[in-house]
Amino acid sequence: MRLLRRVDLYGLFGLLLLLIVWQTIGSLKLAGPSIPSLADVWVVYREPWKLALLSRAAASTLLSALIGLSAGCVLGTAVAVLAHLVAPLRRGLDQLSVIVNAVPAVALAPILIVTVGRDWTPAMLAAIPVFFVIYITVSSGLRSASPRLMDVFRILGASRLTRLLFLEAPAALPALLGGMRISVTAAVVGAIVGEWFGASTGLGIVILNTMLNFQTQLMWAAVLLAASASLTAYGILGACENYVRRRFS
Amino acid sequence: MIKLSGVSKEYRMNRRETVRALNRIDLTIEAGEFVALLGPSGCGKSTILHLLAGLEEPSTGSVKIHDRAPATLRAAHQLGVAFQDHALLPWRSVQSNLELPFQAAGIPIDHERIGHLIVLVGLQGFETARPRQLSGGMKQRVAIARALALNPQLLLLDEPFGALDAVTRRHLNHELQRIWLEQRSTTQQLTTVLVTHSVEEAAFLADRIIVLSGRPGRIARDFRVPFPRPHTVEHTRLEAFHRLCDELTLCLEPSSLSLNIPKINGLVEES
Repeated sequence: MRLLRRVDLYGLFGLLLLLIVWQTIGSLKLAGPSIPSLADVWVVYREPWKLALLSRAAASTLLSALIGLSAGCVLGTAVAVLAHLVAPLRRGLDQLSVIVNAVPAVALAPILIVTVGRDWTPAMLAAIPVFFVIYITVSSGLRSASPRLMDVFRILGASRLTRLLFLEAPAALPALLGGMRISVTAAVVGAIVGEWFGASTGLGIVILNTMLNFQTQLMWAAVLLAASASLTAYGILGACENYVRRRFS
Repeated sequence: MIKLSGVSKEYRMNRRETVRALNRIDLTIEAGEFVALLGPSGCGKSTILHLLAGLEEPSTGSVKIHDRAPATLRAAHQLGVAFQDHALLPWRSVQSNLELPFQAAGIPIDHERIGHLIVLVGLQGFETARPRQLSGGMKQRVAIARALALNPQLLLLDEPFGALDAVTRRHLNHELQRIWLEQRSTTQQLTTVLVTHSVEEAAFLADRIIVLSGRPGRIARDFRVPFPRPHTVEHTRLEAFHRLCDELTLCLEPSSLSLNIPKINGLVEES
């Protein structure tokens, strides 16, 4: 507990330092107009129409990220369970997931545009990295139960399904949460990049438009919002993971 | 009745070498007997237990429980095991851990039986505690209760108190005998095989003690414990108990097998 508090303080100190450096660079105009000061960006959030625009965009992006996260988790877990139960499939599924992950999202986007459409592309691009991470973490999580506990289940005459439900699945739960924590930031990135290919709304669209129109303050406000949202999700999932890890191991 | 005939077990170390853990073991255990397998570490006593549980197959020879393969007993949920490490599910409470045998067998959970087991092993008030909140001795009590949950025909105990301190261990040995006698009075037969390297534990708990010699494991001696049940603290103070322990200890000496140990009067030795 004391260690945790120290780490928190340490992190907080780092964040504070970053914000001070940012504010200094911005207010002294060290990088010209491309990096506005924190105070100037903060002003954006106080203008009602800009705030409304950003909230709408953020809601859309986060929804895409959430859909992608959920779909990636469900699919990744399902495929990991399949590979776990049907051993001959494992090698093939391992390779498939590596190949899916190796395809650059940006190269995949045009294909998605013509298949699932502009508005579903962000969610799809969010789902792909999540799927990969979840597949890997859940696969190893399912194998993490101690051999001794495996023996106990065998000796009690438990069926394969019973072993999965009562031993391997609970043992894999911390790994699943860990996978979600790691991949949630990738889901937000996937959603934003996906929006660049012509979604009707979203933070990605705001970032792209403000960049092209040189509205740097609004652009920074959108980026800051995206970063805070993904960091918050990371923090929440981290807390969930800690709880589950304590509870399930 | 359990019958091991000509059982050897070899483990492959690498392409050229194999290690022989057990060498031509012939052993018959009567139904209802409490047998202790005593031997130095590495003598293959845990291997025998694994063979009886059907977790491993013998390299040669056969293991039969009531004339059938051990796996049959397992499939019929008639096998109970407690290991040195409790092997409880860490995310489940005491109560819930005791529900596991029922769930594994796919039969309705008998809450009355679980309540009885909790009383039997003396864990009233700890029903909702998780394993990490219990002491080492309490965890072993839960493990033993879990092993007994379905009234097994065969109970295997693999150094269940091996990781505990001497005082707790002695106390739990008394408790185990009480639990065992109570359990035996409700089921007709509770054949029990205890693996241990503690001489006193074997002499106190068992009806019969099989001494194994090390590498490869084979049966060196076969003792019958001459005290009537229940074995009490008074028994452990008897001259005969000490002599039995002394002789067992001598048997465990690496050099004893080549020596001709004089038989001590008052002890019944078989084979």
